Amino acid sequence: MAQTNLEKQINILDYALSSLWRRRMKSLNVLLVFAAVIFLLASFQMVTQALSDKAKQVLVYTPEITVQKMSAGRQEAIPLAYRDKLARIFGIRRVVPRIWGYYFDEVLLANYTVMGMDVEEMPEGSRLDTTLASGRMPTPDEQGRVVIGHSVKKALDLEGRTTFSFFRPDLSLKAFTVSGEFSRDTDILTNDLIVMNLADARDLYAIPAGMVTDLCVYVANPKEIDTIARKISEALPSVRVLTRPQIQKTYQVVFGWRSGFGSICLLSALAAFVILAWDKASGLSPEERREIAILKVLGWETSDILAVRFWESVIVSGLACILGITAAYIHVVYFAASLFRPVLMGWSVLRPDLHLLPRMAAGDILLILAFTVIPYLAATVIPAWRSATVPADSALGG
Amino acid sequence: MRPALVFSLLLCLLLALDGALFVDGVRRRKAEDATLAQLEVATSALGLTDLAVATEARYTRHPAVSDPMAPFMDHPGAIEHFPTGAFWQPPQR
Repeated sequence: MAQTNLEKQINILDYALSSLWRRRMKSLNVLLVFAAVIFLLASFQMVTQALSDKAKQVLVYTPEITVQKMSAGRQEAIPLAYRDKLARIFGIRRVVPRIWGYYFDEVLLANYTVMGMDVEEMPEGSRLDTTLASGRMPTPDEQGRVVIGHSVKKALDLEGRTTFSFFRPDLSLKAFTVSGEFSRDTDILTNDLIVMNLADARDLYAIPAGMVTDLCVYVANPKEIDTIARKISEALPSVRVLTRPQIQKTYQVVFGWRSGFGSICLLSALAAFVILAWDKASGLSPEERREIAILKVLGWETSDILAVRFWESVIVSGLACILGITAAYIHVVYFAASLFRPVLMGWSVLRPDLHLLPRMAAGDILLILAFTVIPYLAATVIPAWRSATVPADSALGG
Repeated sequence: MRPALVFSLLLCLLLALDGALFVDGVRRRKAEDATLAQLEVATSALGLTDLAVATEARYTRHPAVSDPMAPFMDHPGAIEHFPTGAFWQPPQR
């Protein structure tokens, strides 16, 4: 009995495949459009998931609390004296001052991120040399020496030399010597970085003595981060206090379907399905109705005709899903999401080599299936059922 | 040859391609895990808060330490005009 039923289903599958082959141009068009929509959705899902995943992994080590001073809704330099006020709060283990900012290269139109700090005061500071591809970190008393990211070296064309200069705000030149280069494996974090001493960063940006950009605060007990953050806000009312959980949370929401680009991906998929559903729901063509009528005259039951339509839909949507998801994976992993780069990086001159590796969980595949295959099945089977229940003689025009 | 058999062969071919991609993915994952230690040291020692993906605007270079208002702060009535603003959603606090 089971074997007979299996044989029947294989015969129906044969018929469904022949039927699709008979209308091969139409079937191929539907398959390609469908696969393209799935490719777009899956690529977006994979890129955002890979970036969020990477952020989740590395931002576990971000400073526990970052303190910045705000004035008129903007960030401004914070007095170093605040460090002494923070030292009075019980539970704070260490406060490290930092000067950082951006340097816009008007010739190359590139934006570098400059960071000045005493890295030996930071956690793992003594191990920072392990992240370098060449050279070493400058010691606190070595002035004018910097460690740069890969794109900075490329942009400044530092292949055959180790010195370069930046303009101070008064347009006088400050010279730097490259003492090391970050490994390309850390590109996703250090690609545009220029790391130097606190004194050099102060000199470059002409920040007055006694002022810094922000303070990195480390606490004795990580469970008390929120409590200590509240105490800092109370002790220093004009500051913005960012905690590690807040920073981690940012990257879980910053790449979302609600972003402009995410909405475009979703809306285009939705528009494609509305058009498809409209086409299907508006009824079968006279040829298709005649085919169904002939099958019924030959003794096919309504359930057999529905099974044919079901198999046709499963073949088209299943193939489109496999093709779309596979193409999306290849696009993201082997071509570094090159179609999304214009919008992911925009006018950025310094661009890291993205090595994205999405984790394809069952939940992600189910999400894509729910958005694509299930609406397609619903859109094709229901009109087929309406047509299959029409008496054969009326469909043949008799 | 029956159409169902041809279809099964096509399906097997696609699944074999996916299998090869999976094996390559496992190899890449191992290589990536090996570099994770370096990323952890860089984050910790420099106190980094953000990924260096988009360097065109400060609020997409450092979204974690930027205000949602930052794109509109250039002048009164300023509009957000950087392309990456379309991909990156403002942080919600």
